[in-house]
Amino acid sequence: MTNKEKYKQAFSVLHTSENFSPEVEIMAKINKKNKIRAIIAACIGIFTVGGLSTTAYAANVGNIQRQIQLWVQGDQTTATLDIDETQGEYKISYTGTDGAPVEISGGGITIDINGNEKPVNEQEIMEHIMMPSVEYLDDGTIWVYYKDRQMEITDKFDEEGFCYTQIADGGQTYYMTIKKNGGYGIDTIKYPSKKNFNY
Amino acid sequence: MRPALNELVGKYKNNLYAVAFNICKNPDDAEDAVQDTFVQYFSNKKEFETEEHVKAWLIRVAINKAKNINNSFWRKNKVTLDETMETLAFETEDSKELFETVMKLPEKYRIAIHLFYFEDYTVKEISEILKTSESNVKVRLSRGRNLLKETLKEGWENDE
Repeated sequence: MTNKEKYKQAFSVLHTSENFSPEVEIMAKINKKNKIRAIIAACIGIFTVGGLSTTAYAANVGNIQRQIQLWVQGDQTTATLDIDETQGEYKISYTGTDGAPVEISGGGITIDINGNEKPVNEQEIMEHIMMPSVEYLDDGTIWVYYKDRQMEITDKFDEEGFCYTQIADGGQTYYMTIKKNGGYGIDTIKYPSKKNFNY
Repeated sequence: MRPALNELVGKYKNNLYAVAFNICKNPDDAEDAVQDTFVQYFSNKKEFETEEHVKAWLIRVAINKAKNINNSFWRKNKVTLDETMETLAFETEDSKELFETVMKLPEKYRIAIHLFYFEDYTVKEISEILKTSESNVKVRLSRGRNLLKETLKEGWENDE
C-alpha cells in the first residue's frame, strides 16, 4: 500500500454522528446563534435594555462613525460602528470571513439612580462594547458570550430564576447576575443584586 | 455556481469532520466545527467557480472553525483522544498506529499532511487553503513525514 492508501484507510474511521442533521431549518437556528455571538450587548449600568435587533438601521442626523476591533466568532476583525445618539441605536458593519458584508444593529437606554431613562451615548456604547452578553436561542438554551468564549447557562438558574457567573479576563473580572427572561447586570466589583431587577 | 446545502452536506460532511477532528482531536468539537461550517455556507450568498472551489472553501472554513473551538476558553467537550480512540473501529493495528502517530504531530504539520494524504491536494492547493506559501507547505510536509517515518519506520515509505 502507498502512504496515501494507508493514510486514507486509517482516517476513514472518522465520520459524523448519526445525529448530524443537514436540515436547513436546524441550520437556520444554529445560524442565528452564531450571528448572536457577534452581537454586542448594550448592557448599561445595571440592566440590559433594548432588544438587539437585526432590523434596518435608520440613518439619522447626528450620527457618529468609528472604526473598532470587534470579536466575531473568536476572531478579531475591523468593523465600522455607526451610532445614533438621539435614538441610542447603533449599527456595526464588517466583512465576514467569506468576504460577504455583515451588518448588526441594536440599541439601549441608561437608567440613572433616579430612574430616569435616556438613550445610550457613544461613550457608553464604546465602554460596553466588549462586555459579556447573554442570549436566548430558539432551541431554548441560554448562553453567555464573551470575546471568543461561550458558556451555556440554561441549567444554572436558581429557584428564583437567577444565575450568577463571573468571567475573568486578565486582571479584570466581570460579575454577572442574569435573570431568566428578565435581563442581566454586569459589575466589575461584585454580583449585581437581584433586588435591582424590578421587572 | 452555488450547490444546494443538502447536497454539500451529503458529499463533504465526513471530509470536513476528518479535517476538523485532525485539529480538535475530539468528536463533538469536530462536529460542531462542521455544523458551523455549513451554517456559514448557508448564511452567505457567496458564488463559486467550480465544485472543487466550494470544497476547498468548506475545508478552509472548517479548519478555521476547528481552530476557534480549540482556542475557546470555555471548551465544552472534554473527551480525551484516548477515550475517542476506543470508539474508533480501525481495520488494522497498523491503521490505528498511523492514526495515533499523526495525531501526535504538531498541528501545523498535521493539517498539511492530512490535506495531502487524505484529500489529495497538491502543495499549491494546500498553500491556497492554508493561506501560506508553497515553500512553507513543503517544509511542513517534509517535517511531518520525517516524524512519521521516525515512529512508524517500515510502516511509512519515503515519499515526496
